[in-house]
Amino acid sequence: MAEAAAAGAGVAVRPRPSLGRRLRGDQDRNLWFWVFVGPFALGLLVFVYVPIAWSLYLSFFDSYNTVTPTTFVGLRNYGDMLSDPAFRSSLTTFLAFAVFIVPTTFVASLGLALLVHRARFLQTFFRSVFFLPTACSYVVAALIWKMSIFSGVRFGLANTILGWLGIEPVAWLSVVQPPWYWLVIVTVRLWLQVGFYMILFLAGLQRISPTLYEAAAVDGAQGFQVTRYITVPQLRATSAAVLLLLLVNAFQAFDEFYNLLATSGQYPPYGRPPLVYLYYVALGQGQDFGHGSAGAVILTLIIGLVAVLQGRVLRLGGRD
Amino acid sequence: MTSSSRPTPRPTSTTIGRRGFLGLAGALGAGALAACGGNTGRGDSGSGATGSNGKPAIAQWYHAYGESGTQQAVEGYAKAYPDGSVTVKWFPSGYDNTVASALLTATGPDVFENGNGPSIDMIQGKQVVDLTGILGDAQSDFTPSLIERMTYQGKLYAVPQVTDMQLMVYRKSLLEKAGVQPPTTVDELLAAAKKLTTDKVKGLFAGNDGGVGVLGGPMLWSAGLDYLNSDQTAFGFDDPKAAEGFAKLRTLFTSGSLLLGAPADWSDPSAFTQGLVAMQWTGLWTLPAIEKAFPGDYGVMAWPGLASGDKGSVPVGAYGSCVSAKAKDVEASKAFVKWLWVDQTDKQLDFAQSYGFHIPARKSVAQKASKLSSGPAADAVTLVNENGHAQTPLLWTPKCQTAFSDGLNRIVRSGADPTAEIATMKTVADAELKRVGG
Amino acid sequence: MAIARSTPQKAGSALRYVALGLGAVLFLVPFYLLVRNGLMREADITAPDWSWLPPVPQWGNVRELFTDPAVPIARSLANSAVIAVTQTALVLLLSGMAGYGLARIPYRHADKVLWTVVATLLIPASVTFVPSFVLVSTLGWISTLRGLIIPGLFQAFATFLFRQYFLGFPKEIEEAARIDGLGWWGTFWRIVAPNSWGFVSAIATITFIGSWNAFLWPLVIGQDQSSWTVQIAVSTFLTQQTSNLHELFVAAAVAILPLVVMFVVLQRWIVEGVERTGINE
Repeated sequence: MAEAAAAGAGVAVRPRPSLGRRLRGDQDRNLWFWVFVGPFALGLLVFVYVPIAWSLYLSFFDSYNTVTPTTFVGLRNYGDMLSDPAFRSSLTTFLAFAVFIVPTTFVASLGLALLVHRARFLQTFFRSVFFLPTACSYVVAALIWKMSIFSGVRFGLANTILGWLGIEPVAWLSVVQPPWYWLVIVTVRLWLQVGFYMILFLAGLQRISPTLYEAAAVDGAQGFQVTRYITVPQLRATSAAVLLLLLVNAFQAFDEFYNLLATSGQYPPYGRPPLVYLYYVALGQGQDFGHGSAGAVILTLIIGLVAVLQGRVLRLGGRD
Repeated sequence: MTSSSRPTPRPTSTTIGRRGFLGLAGALGAGALAACGGNTGRGDSGSGATGSNGKPAIAQWYHAYGESGTQQAVEGYAKAYPDGSVTVKWFPSGYDNTVASALLTATGPDVFENGNGPSIDMIQGKQVVDLTGILGDAQSDFTPSLIERMTYQGKLYAVPQVTDMQLMVYRKSLLEKAGVQPPTTVDELLAAAKKLTTDKVKGLFAGNDGGVGVLGGPMLWSAGLDYLNSDQTAFGFDDPKAAEGFAKLRTLFTSGSLLLGAPADWSDPSAFTQGLVAMQWTGLWTLPAIEKAFPGDYGVMAWPGLASGDKGSVPVGAYGSCVSAKAKDVEASKAFVKWLWVDQTDKQLDFAQSYGFHIPARKSVAQKASKLSSGPAADAVTLVNENGHAQTPLLWTPKCQTAFSDGLNRIVRSGADPTAEIATMKTVADAELKRVGG
Repeated sequence: MAIARSTPQKAGSALRYVALGLGAVLFLVPFYLLVRNGLMREADITAPDWSWLPPVPQWGNVRELFTDPAVPIARSLANSAVIAVTQTALVLLLSGMAGYGLARIPYRHADKVLWTVVATLLIPASVTFVPSFVLVSTLGWISTLRGLIIPGLFQAFATFLFRQYFLGFPKEIEEAARIDGLGWWGTFWRIVAPNSWGFVSAIATITFIGSWNAFLWPLVIGQDQSSWTVQIAVSTFLTQQTSNLHELFVAAAVAILPLVVMFVVLQRWIVEGVERTGINE
């Protein structure tokens, strides 16, 4: 802000600038701010905030098959959702999913980054291979997983391999005891995401000063010790950012669950995260926008709470 | 549960590609791109309800029928309509959701098909118009159960297009080889499935969820019960026989004789035609493909009765043609529905039997359906008449169906107690009945 | 570490390459399956005995896909390309400018504006789906490129990343430009933007992927077959009555091919850009 203060000092001597002048700010800074930010902010207002406000409005009404409801019900939809066992269990499902997927993706991408970072030849090749799945859509990935790798019949890849070992085929997505479907869901997400976070970690690794490693080598530190005492602490900022992204992404999980587990017209009560449940409440023939929006608001509040807590750690909001 | 009431619940695969942070629907923008709009059809919404030739413009919507040629056929019917210019829209997936969202706006369909007619909330929300009287003299020629299903408080809200049904198909030769007769009770079915299971072939396929999605209704009817009581005022299966029937589905699931995890679901004949199973629960529409794969070597039957003496059952439904209350020209749209689905019997016959197999909704037309007059297809028609049940009652709402499906999943796939799960379903259904029936 | 490498270090290095190799194979298997299945006959895919390669590669499958009358794959590829390219260019423009304004122009309420942008990141898109649809429908944008493109233009995440990046842009260069008499506008376009290609290409890639792979929105907005995107075209194979696995896999391969090619060609820029997204700072 020092720059702004210095610039402001120059004009402060002028007597009473006109209203227009004051609105435009020193050096027309207000005007220029809105020239840069205005088009984006206007679009955001009309096409993001209006729908959000509309959803919020719907959550206080009886809104079956209408977006212009007339029956105000206060907080009843919120009460219904909070006492709905299916919605509550979807929150639990998310929790179980997050507790597993966040650390797993974190460790896998950090591990790959360390391996790639230290590779002396073929480094670019390995980096590309691990990053390539980022280009794939959830639709296509789910297709490969469901129809080719984890198909329940003999010709699926996983069952073919089990067959070589003399093990009977497993119906990966059909059985819930044991819950093999989690294996399918988790591996598809790992495949799609790990490469992206690996790149972030690689960037972090490149910023670590070589002198730190040299000092460590002089002190006799080796292999794992170097990783444990030099590398990992130096990656703290990157790690915090990756954790936040992973968590928010996990909250918004929808695509792979829907594409892998939904069958004709129904979705099982297993592996059903909140967004999938709300999708069936509001967007299906149910068209129950009141309860759907209330559930969405509850979900948003939870995400917000988590993100604010994490954001405190990251200090994302400050300017410099 | 978008497809709860669909007569032919095929996998619609509403695959969603919203990727992480970069939400796709979050934001829409100002008219900066107005110049590159390239309006691809549909014409002006709301205004000037006339087509290029001065006739009323009518937008007619279908879900994607899987059989090739169907889309071209319905486009042909639309073109042949003399009193309007009809454009057909064909949705590869997500049809139910798209219709439901589009009915909220003025740019939705004028005429659209919906599984078993409009939902109770569409009717109570006044999104569809009353079609009473549209059938005229033909009223008595339509299958009565279908008309009844699409009627609410004495008013007709849709015209049935074609009758669809689900049924069991079996390979005669495999049953003979195993020394098994087509089962007449659920216990016989369990035994037969076990006997038919070999190293390479499973006994039965009823969907990758183990039949949870499609066998719940048949199991109830085969126990002499239904979702709701006959006048749709109370929960219909608070009964030990329902619990017993659901428990049998659990036994089937864990028996090892059920095929699970096939690449295509129950609505597709490929598990059966690829020889992966000896019996499959599927739809009438698959019979042409099965006939091609195993000419003469297959038979059809109903879902067997729960105990000896109980009658077997098959679900019967129909897509109904509805007119949106926001149609640009309601009268013209009604006239088109009457023309196509009441008067044009030759087109109805073509639609019913030239692509997938369906049964015409008009009895006089059904009698002319030559492909349904012999062999297993004819047996299937008999099943409709003798064992058919409307798929789900009008007042069995999507919320009821979710509760039903959740409970059945827990019973069949994780061994939950049927009686307790039925009690949970009843709680939800009672509340919904109070909401829509009260 | 210019120290002579001991035997355990060599062993460690070998082990590292075994791990990398194994990982690379696992990551490539799905791509391999896509190609393998796409070049097989239906019966080969469902054969009980596994074969690593198609017995006879069915290149005709590709022709079959492009001549399938029910699925306008060429048209949908063109639509996807137009939508993704336009969306990417406009997102870069809108978010780049907004990010710069938020990072550099000392407006009193800039922080509040920033928070209203960041807050939208927490709200899942599906939450506002129906109101957005009704809004776009009211504007008469159903089945138009407008309706397909403009929805994706206001990307809070891209704006946020741009802002983080511009915060780290060397201030001295900008100050020199200001002394030369360039205003905000001139500094941004003549000094800052030309020096940010790596970062711009990263955001471009992320945006392009999101746009190309979008599904639900194009599905309900692109109601006419002529406005289908390639993802919608692929999905039709999932609903066809007769199972059509070979064409499904070819279609999926065609759908991801443009992105894979882009990744391979632009790889250096993309990686460099992602590394500079500024979230690490």
